[in-house]
Amino acid sequence: MSGIYVHVPFCKSKCTYCDFASYPEKLAKAESYFACLYREIKGRGMQLKDKVFDTVYIGGGTPSIVDADLIVGTLRQIRNCFNLTKNAEITIEINPGTITEEKVKKYKSVGINRFSIGLQTGFNDQLERLNRIHTAKDFLLCTNLLKGENYSADVLIGLHDQTAEQVQKTLQLAIAGGVSHVSVYALTPEVGTPIYSDYLNGLLPSDDETAELYETAKNYLKENGFEMYEVSNFAKKGYESKHNMNYWERGEYIGVGVSASSFIDGRRFTNSYSVEEYMNAIILNKFPEISSEKIEGEDAEFEFIMLALRTKKGMSVTKFNALFGEDFAKKYAKALQKEAKYIDFDGETLKIKEEYMYVQNSIITEFMN
Amino acid sequence: MSIDKKKIRNFCIVAHIDHGKSTLADRLMEKTGQVSERDMEEQLLDSMDLEKERGITIKLTPVRMFYKAKDGEEYVFNLIDTPGHVDFTYEVSRSLKACEGAILIVDATQGVQAQTLANAYLAIDNDLEIMPVINKMDLPSAMPDEVADEIEEILGIEAHDAPRISAKSGLNVEEVLEQVVHKIPAPQGDDNAPLKALIFDSYYDNFKGVICFVRIMDGTVKVGDRIKTFMSNKQFDVTEVGVFSPNLTPKESLTAGEVGYIAASIKSIEDTAVGDTITNATNPAPAPLDGYKKALPMVFSGVFPLDGSKFDDLKDALLKLKLNDAALSIEPDNSAALGFGFRCGFLGLLHMDVIQERIEREFDLDIITTAPSVSYKVYKTDGTELTVENPSRLPPVTEIDYMEEPMIKASIFTPPDYIGPIMELCQFKRGEYKDMVYLDSRRVELKYILPLNEIIYDFFDSLKSRTKGYASFDYEPCGYQKSDLVKLDMLLNGDVCDALSIIVHKDKAYERGRKIAEKLKDAIPRQMFEIPIQAAVGGKVIARETVKAFRKDVLAKCYGGDVTRKKKLLEKQKEGKKKMRSIGTVEIPSEAFISILKTDNED
Repeated sequence: MSGIYVHVPFCKSKCTYCDFASYPEKLAKAESYFACLYREIKGRGMQLKDKVFDTVYIGGGTPSIVDADLIVGTLRQIRNCFNLTKNAEITIEINPGTITEEKVKKYKSVGINRFSIGLQTGFNDQLERLNRIHTAKDFLLCTNLLKGENYSADVLIGLHDQTAEQVQKTLQLAIAGGVSHVSVYALTPEVGTPIYSDYLNGLLPSDDETAELYETAKNYLKENGFEMYEVSNFAKKGYESKHNMNYWERGEYIGVGVSASSFIDGRRFTNSYSVEEYMNAIILNKFPEISSEKIEGEDAEFEFIMLALRTKKGMSVTKFNALFGEDFAKKYAKALQKEAKYIDFDGETLKIKEEYMYVQNSIITEFMN
Repeated sequence: MSIDKKKIRNFCIVAHIDHGKSTLADRLMEKTGQVSERDMEEQLLDSMDLEKERGITIKLTPVRMFYKAKDGEEYVFNLIDTPGHVDFTYEVSRSLKACEGAILIVDATQGVQAQTLANAYLAIDNDLEIMPVINKMDLPSAMPDEVADEIEEILGIEAHDAPRISAKSGLNVEEVLEQVVHKIPAPQGDDNAPLKALIFDSYYDNFKGVICFVRIMDGTVKVGDRIKTFMSNKQFDVTEVGVFSPNLTPKESLTAGEVGYIAASIKSIEDTAVGDTITNATNPAPAPLDGYKKALPMVFSGVFPLDGSKFDDLKDALLKLKLNDAALSIEPDNSAALGFGFRCGFLGLLHMDVIQERIEREFDLDIITTAPSVSYKVYKTDGTELTVENPSRLPPVTEIDYMEEPMIKASIFTPPDYIGPIMELCQFKRGEYKDMVYLDSRRVELKYILPLNEIIYDFFDSLKSRTKGYASFDYEPCGYQKSDLVKLDMLLNGDVCDALSIIVHKDKAYERGRKIAEKLKDAIPRQMFEIPIQAAVGGKVIARETVKAFRKDVLAKCYGGDVTRKKKLLEKQKEGKKKMRSIGTVEIPSEAFISILKTDNED
């Protein structure tokens, strides 16, 4: 499996928790940005002409804020320049406050077959506090436009004064809207974001409280036919995100656009976070990479373990041994023994027991040297 | 050719901490041209980094200076520095013995303080001529007249002609030099009598062996002489003698009245104990100088490598430190919880801190130190007697008839406002009130007998916080006293952690147990499982806390762009883990062992 990630660094306004490369004030530059993006796609396509890609993910920012024709152009360019499989999963992130019937039509026309809706919470006061640009009702309007399509909702836990009941109601709303997939993310207050000061001032729920909300979400989703297939991701059978699974399997991906990361031939590289720097590089016919790192040996092994253990299906020992030429059980015998209580290991698959999924860091770090 | 004794002045500077001793010493060297201002590093005498940082002197460094006095004559000044802390009282007394006089610095803003008094008395006891100097005249709050009155009143030393100086700015420092000539007596001694040289310090040099810092009381010593020490009764051939300028500067000989060094290919610093006397082996003095005392460690603590495989490195570090520090005692130790390490004895808490920091800094070793303990006397029911410095070595209760603990005589100086809080503190620390003296309207001296075991546990901090830092404190050991002591054990996840055991007074056991449990609860990070922390005396649990299992320890999101960053977060978490020590199934950060000492006050 291999994926293509496209980053759209624009939005209407910054959410209080957002630390992604997204610049509402630069929305006016969208057209020239996409012009550059097409060039980058062309350049990368030429570089990777021997590779086949199975998924595309257009993320942001808010990709749905820009003129839908730009998205259409992007996909055409991708199809022109890359070997994209016929049944490729093509996802776009959309904000309920920016979507129209027209846009949905255009997205569908170019083969977009999966939509990831940023719902976050079903409570308008909380949405407002997060500086979201939509209401709970907008979410339902949005799902109406997507009737018959495959779509997912993002939900946040660990919000100000959030109760288990609110989490449940939010999920209820998402399910009523007909989602096939839900991502439940614990709010992570990053330094430099407005919400960080709320965190410092103790206005956000404690880790214990957030863990409780996670339990609520997990149980509620399970009752409604959504299985956890990764720490934060839940889906009806068959609706798991292929694009994201590829990350956790440590598959290859090419990222285009501001701040996008790629992982190709054991090398991870990342584009500039600045729209201007990115565009200047493209204009000069250069790739806008700002960092590049060949990941080898135990670093690579650890990544493989760390990513795989996020998933419910766990890590394949056969695959590990084939990839790295090691005997996993032997090499990590000490960690396997130390963490025995928290893992399932049958020689072929290594998994973290479900009840320890949310405390996995200390288990995973035992596999780090 | 020997120097005219009448032209020699041997003196030291004594002061309360921070009253400006090192600054004045620097200034004297600068004025006598010993060091040019440009070359002078801040506070030359304090050469160890640690000393500079803490503004204290640990090792003694003598300096020889030449001063051309107003009478036209040139004098040789030997300035002998003294350690400025109560832990090193004995070392101070030996360096005082090497002098005829002492400059007593008193801060013009603070007046007489605990160590001013303690050090002045020590100098008086050693028959030194005291020459007061009032320092920090550059500060607007200087009160030189009041301070002079105070010196006369409290110490009975004429102080109105005391130079009023600023060691910092150099104000009136000339006057200090001139007064040294006139007020401090020239040394006595007979060049032709059998050699008597007082060792007041020594250090180990990789090439020359032990360098003994000596004051020649009688006789002469030169290269080639066969010498012997009284205490170790060992003989050596002198390979080098010389003076301090301030670097070692070889000379042909040293004669009575002089201060200098002797090197004689001596391999062990223990053969040249501070206070011992060196004499000529072929023409020995009939008796040594009096006043020799073996430095006895007062405070003991376990020192273990954080990484068990670094045991040998730790051993090397301690042995190297011991080369220059006869007061440090080292014994191999092992703990069920911490593995192999050492039980070290120190002169006091500062000495302990200094050694621990030097191990970490100079030898780059991460160590775990256990709660300091004192040396208890255990009288067993079978009639035998035992000294216990390590709580985990205490025999079972059933075998103990009774125990004794070391006591100290404490002098606390304070403005009268804080008498109440201090008395409360001393009471709480099981102190026995002895006396209270009003030194003047602004200062009171409180005298208490206190168990040392209470002093090594947060006494200084409590004293400071109760008196806003105004009180000063000094102590000396005063024997043992029978006491109702028990061993307090800490259990982690049901297992006794021997490295956390302490010996406490029975009445304090509950209080301490509860506090340590609370401290540990804060110091031990939450782990995959719940960790009960229990304090127990004689198998009976008296306090309990719980470190709850964590419920969220996860990276909420991890996608393609995140991998590198998220991996770094996990690496950081792993680093934190490496700083921890596994005790059974529980991981404990090394700070936990020491954090249990740093209890806040009982209030």
